[in-house]
Amino acid sequence: MSAILSADDLNDFINPGIACIKPVETLPQQQPPEENANPYEVTTEDKVKAENAPPAQISLTDCLACSGCVTSAEAVLVSLQSHSEVLDTLDRHAELRLPVQDCVRAANGMDGIDEDGRIFVASVSPQSRASLAATYNVSEQQAGHMIAQLLSGPYGLRSGGTHGSGFTWVVDTNVMREACLVAAAEEVQQALNAPTEGQKKLILTSACPGWICYAEKTHPHILPHLSKLKSPQALTGTLLKSILAKKFGVPPEKVWHMAVMPCFDKKLEASRGELTSHSWHGREGEDAIRDTDCVITARELLMLAESRNISFPCLPRKPLAKHFRPPFPDPTVNAFLFGRRRHIKGTQGSASSIGTSGGYLHHVLKTQQSLHPGSTISIHRGRNADVADYSVIDSSGKTIFKAARYYGFRNIQNLVRRLKPAKASRMPGANHRRPARKPGSGAGEGDYAYVEVMACPGGCTNGGGQIKVGDVGTLRQTGVENGSWEQEVLPAQREWLGWVDEAYFSASSEDEDVDDGDADGDVDMDVLNCPGVKGEGRSDDVVDGIDRSYIHGILEHWSSITGVELEKLIYTTFRAVESDVGKESVGGNEMERVSALAVAQGGGW
Amino acid sequence: MLRQDCSNLLSAEFPAAIHNYRRPQKIDKKFVGESVLATGSFDASAGIWRRWEEGGGKGKPAAEIDFTGGLAGGDAEAEEEEDEEWRFAVILDGHDSEIKSLAFSPTSPLLGTCSRDKSVWIWEELEDDNFETVAVLQDHEGDVKCVAWHPGEELLASASYDDNVRLWREDVDDWACCALLTGHKGTVWWVEFEGADRIGMLGTSDEVSEEQKAVLELREKAGPRLLSCSDDHTIRVWRRIPKERREMPTGQGSLPSIWKNNNFEEQWIEEARLPQVHERPVYALNWSKKTGRVASTGSDGKIVVYEERWKSGATDKKEPNGDVTMEDGTPTTVAVTEPIPTSAKDGSGTLTEWVAVAEVENAHDVFEVNHVCWATRADKGKRFDDEEVLISTGDDGEVKVWTFDT
Repeated sequence: MSAILSADDLNDFINPGIACIKPVETLPQQQPPEENANPYEVTTEDKVKAENAPPAQISLTDCLACSGCVTSAEAVLVSLQSHSEVLDTLDRHAELRLPVQDCVRAANGMDGIDEDGRIFVASVSPQSRASLAATYNVSEQQAGHMIAQLLSGPYGLRSGGTHGSGFTWVVDTNVMREACLVAAAEEVQQALNAPTEGQKKLILTSACPGWICYAEKTHPHILPHLSKLKSPQALTGTLLKSILAKKFGVPPEKVWHMAVMPCFDKKLEASRGELTSHSWHGREGEDAIRDTDCVITARELLMLAESRNISFPCLPRKPLAKHFRPPFPDPTVNAFLFGRRRHIKGTQGSASSIGTSGGYLHHVLKTQQSLHPGSTISIHRGRNADVADYSVIDSSGKTIFKAARYYGFRNIQNLVRRLKPAKASRMPGANHRRPARKPGSGAGEGDYAYVEVMACPGGCTNGGGQIKVGDVGTLRQTGVENGSWEQEVLPAQREWLGWVDEAYFSASSEDEDVDDGDADGDVDMDVLNCPGVKGEGRSDDVVDGIDRSYIHGILEHWSSITGVELEKLIYTTFRAVESDVGKESVGGNEMERVSALAVAQGGGW
Repeated sequence: MLRQDCSNLLSAEFPAAIHNYRRPQKIDKKFVGESVLATGSFDASAGIWRRWEEGGGKGKPAAEIDFTGGLAGGDAEAEEEEDEEWRFAVILDGHDSEIKSLAFSPTSPLLGTCSRDKSVWIWEELEDDNFETVAVLQDHEGDVKCVAWHPGEELLASASYDDNVRLWREDVDDWACCALLTGHKGTVWWVEFEGADRIGMLGTSDEVSEEQKAVLELREKAGPRLLSCSDDHTIRVWRRIPKERREMPTGQGSLPSIWKNNNFEEQWIEEARLPQVHERPVYALNWSKKTGRVASTGSDGKIVVYEERWKSGATDKKEPNGDVTMEDGTPTTVAVTEPIPTSAKDGSGTLTEWVAVAEVENAHDVFEVNHVCWATRADKGKRFDDEEVLISTGDDGEVKVWTFDT
């Protein structure tokens, strides 16, 4: 799906691709004939200077033949965010040494710090952990510890590089995901109560960037239906940057946020103009700083380790020692981010109804169910495993809420087609009494209140950046003595995905495990003693294991300590992307403009 | 509006509708009580049209007819006789760029479409004008030019600018590529399967020898063959190698993963090549379901007809009798002398040969001929039952009808 994505701010323009039938022909400058020129001598490259290539002219007739043109925007964007970019950044900027105890700093900046220093933070998605867990046959929790060891620990990135920099904090995006779930359920309820033009009754999830870019470019008519919520990645970025910037009195650009995600489309999401400091920092004069500076995939995380000659499977599987992770500058948020996840036991749905993309639909259904005591949820599977209808039926048998799950491009087609407004066809022979397209017919798609849309069949565990079963064999052998891994027959990709899913879902049951302490045997006492941590059963506003009032408290707290309205922090916008191919370029050479953008550092987009 | 039967046509040229750039390109028709027509357009959408067939024969086989004349403008007649004309039913959106070809499946309610956006889409027709996307297949690396369905199975072939032909089948709950046919050295413009009723049957119905019988049985087992034609001027015949039952490895609980895919993937080999008569890219061909003859045409303006025969000593010279005087009417008889690329130990290819039995040059004046197909002759000049004529369309904007004399 990423082949057809586009980014805001960047105009799509078409470069003749390698497969183009009309190569950019550059005629050499006419050299005046030299004296004594030997006509048999071969002209060498340095004698012939190429002119500045004019923009290639490709007419429609040429293009019918080959379709080799490629928009370069996406290719450039994606290539800028890679594991080498991470290493370069770590080498370019010293890690800002933060005082462990003192959370308040002067607004003028910190004493004697490197002007070029950065506070490095990372966030890791559960699907990436699951992929690594399945690859190395460890538990999901252990994979999480190994990642933290790599990014923050003494044996990881800190053991090398120019400055010995590592990441100060490694956050689990599951934490912010819970906030997203609660906010999503509320959004749905609001839309049900009072649908407006700005937020229609049917809400489609917007956390999947593959889906968003496709919708913005190809189906702008569904944009009013999209949930305004930021994705867990974006929300984590906003939270980390806004709080750190505020608490340490540094501009947002001093915080560098890296995310480990299961797909490449998340890189495009990170480049969105809407997900920058401009939406919450308020100072319009400054350059917009992205909430997430760099996204790397699970696979690239391993390349990151390899580049520094670190063997990932050999990293310790225990949590980091306490002194490698200073407390986050706000104790409430610290507990929220790093406290032991005390999942209050709720009814867990089956894996397929939760899905591997965060479980938005599941939580919304559970919330609706809790609003109508005695109701049940019924599931009706569609034409394949990636489509299903869900209904909440009250005790009298009436259907009070309808929702659905649509994963995969082929299924999304059917969804958007039905949501398309009917347009009378001007085709000869068309029956003018009936609209040509059939809106909202058949299964009653118009009746849905919520649809979870994800671009990848099988959900995020099947993302493009996850580790493929074909690579697992070699990865397991890297840096490990022969024979220390059991020789296991690896299955086909489909079955492999099942193993990754198993690792993903095993995470929730692990949270009840006793914290067996970090590498030093210490248990983090600060977290337990911090105010604001809700104990078990403290609140009765719990849906599916998530304490909603606790989440509300955290969000309010976040808004108050940063001084930014909550709407600006958690909501975003979308806009239709229109192709300007064939239209007059707005001033200046397109090629130059994009090249200039390409070399601009961090946030140039 | 073009009509299916030729009752108003003599075997002469007549001007067809002017085609504009947004014309629907390829049309595929099948007969289901009411006729359904699918049109694919350069605006990236496909349309579905319906028409009631009055007293149309119950047993009429599905006739695939390709129109390139445009549905240009409304027809005053059409609006009066609404019941006899095509009613627009539904638009299918989804492709990113021009649709190059589409085809209905003869065995299931599926429609295959392909486009310059390198993808092949499979749609399923549900009740009430409801078409759902079943699969979006993106394995091709270039513009997909043509799709064709297997006459008896749910198997789709696609031909592409990337020089390959791919075969697609359903695997559990999704469609995937089960075979990749490589070998062509240029864009593959057209693919077509053999008619189901005459798999591997050859023109003459003389007594067959034991060896020949074996060949026929082998072909029957392999199923209808596939024809492809290309920029490289060749027309190739592909045949499936049917799977033997494989021995399960003993003593192990589960199959190693490499075997799991083998039940899904298919193996096809290039069985033969038709005599190379064309001197430029071959754009289209048609394999007659009735006679087994193949007609091909292309950029060089020629229309060539081929037959498959048992190899024998004598070569029959057939004189074609078209309505346009030909420059050079001598057919060429070329036995397949090129070695079959992969080992065909069964020898199926070596007992038969393809022979060019008729040729017309400059069929559409100096213009390229884009399409050719066989159609049952129905006009007054019909000489015998089941006689077939050839219909061709060219860049001169004309549709021509050719008779074929055996």
